[in-house]
Amino acid sequence: MHIVVILIESIIIGGLVGFAAGIGAARMFNAPTVQALGAFRTLGEMNAAQGDPASHFSFGLGFFFNAWASTVGAGAFTQDVTHRVIPNWSAAILLIKNKDLAQTMHNPKKMGLMSALIGVIVVTFLNVTSSSIPASLQVTAVKVLVPAATTLINMVMPIIFWLAAIDAGRRSGLFGTVFGGMAALIMGNAVPGVVLGILIGKGVEEIGWTRITRIMLAAVILLFVLSAFFRSFDIQLLKQFGLGVPQWLQSWHRAIGG
Amino acid sequence: MDQDVKDLEHAKSFWYADWSFPIIVGIMSAGVFAGTSMYYNYGVGAFNEVAIVAMLKAGMTGGSYGAAAAFGASFLFARILEGSLVGILDLGGSILTGVGIGIPAILLSMDIEAPVKNFPLALLTGLVIGVLIGGIIYAVRHFTLGQSKATFGADVMMGAGNETGRFLGPLIILSAVTASIPIGIGATAGAAAFYAWKKPIAGGAIIGAMILGFFFPVKL
Repeated sequence: MHIVVILIESIIIGGLVGFAAGIGAARMFNAPTVQALGAFRTLGEMNAAQGDPASHFSFGLGFFFNAWASTVGAGAFTQDVTHRVIPNWSAAILLIKNKDLAQTMHNPKKMGLMSALIGVIVVTFLNVTSSSIPASLQVTAVKVLVPAATTLINMVMPIIFWLAAIDAGRRSGLFGTVFGGMAALIMGNAVPGVVLGILIGKGVEEIGWTRITRIMLAAVILLFVLSAFFRSFDIQLLKQFGLGVPQWLQSWHRAIGG
Repeated sequence: MDQDVKDLEHAKSFWYADWSFPIIVGIMSAGVFAGTSMYYNYGVGAFNEVAIVAMLKAGMTGGSYGAAAAFGASFLFARILEGSLVGILDLGGSILTGVGIGIPAILLSMDIEAPVKNFPLALLTGLVIGVLIGGIIYAVRHFTLGQSKATFGADVMMGAGNETGRFLGPLIILSAVTASIPIGIGATAGAAAFYAWKKPIAGGAIIGAMILGFFFPVKL
């Protein structure tokens, strides 16, 4: 029963995601004239394997195994399913019949329909095979993957993004450091703050303090203020500095449920 | 002649036009959000990296959804800005992490369970959110088009994002070693074999650890 539900849901999900991923990827070859949905790494990699069905297929296959291992282990597909497996496999199939890139890999209609089919097959396969694995494997996966993932999110990712911000120039380094520290305090993870710091730092460096960058900075500050309020950071802050929490602030929190 | 046909298609057809962009994002978000719903109910099917799904898992197993919510929402915010400015909306940051992890975490942290738990409702929620995101980008793009040529550090973030993936392999081996000796040996051998075959070593480390873990089980 369980497995039938997973099967049906997988077919629906795979079709939707595959269809959109295919159109989005093909539209990337027409960006920035056409607004696309994809990733720069996908664009680069698909260009690297351009025209050769075997390269596209084997590239996708490598990541497919990785995704399979991750799905069996932790139920997570990895982003590679939409970034690499689906677009590359549908490009490979289309290219077998026709070597003209403009009519195949760069054509959103053909890529969308073929990717919907590939999506159904890949998603269903991953979900059905991994939902029927023995318990001892799941225990191993949890014991191995969860600690590794925790270190990755809390330590490795913030440090890599932080160093990238510092290396990218004085402005992004400064904004990255301030927002990174604030995000670690308020949100519990520094990465979002560092990312926003890079965004604003590089934006100001490239186009100066225009209306766009000012609106962005205001929006980021608002994001921090709201996150702080809803995670009761303001109350913690006042308490740990040994100050009293005013009555009106506490009643605000109660009223909004923060 | 061919060029003329293409220009016409760019302007009008669903496949190339800007007006269809919100629909495409909506379809993608519906699928991804429903994938998270399936993960919530059955433990499989989330469209994201192990590390990011683990944040949602932390909330599902009694911890706080705060990390997942803040992480996902900020990524979504950053990517919407970037996507409308550079012409490519980053699928990973905006939809897979923002809509697939961030928004479910926000809903669940407010005890709104239905859109995540109920599959048809999840499809609908994802669709609506995606159309909204696509619409915002469509609007921002038309509003700012030609005003700005900045990349907003997209290359820096992309570089750091790819660099992060490389750390997972060694981290998995280090964590496998602490689980048990057989699992540690399996992870090391698997990673080495994948490296020799020019495949990402994280996959080899996981498979190696799983095989040895099957024959020499450990307790949680």
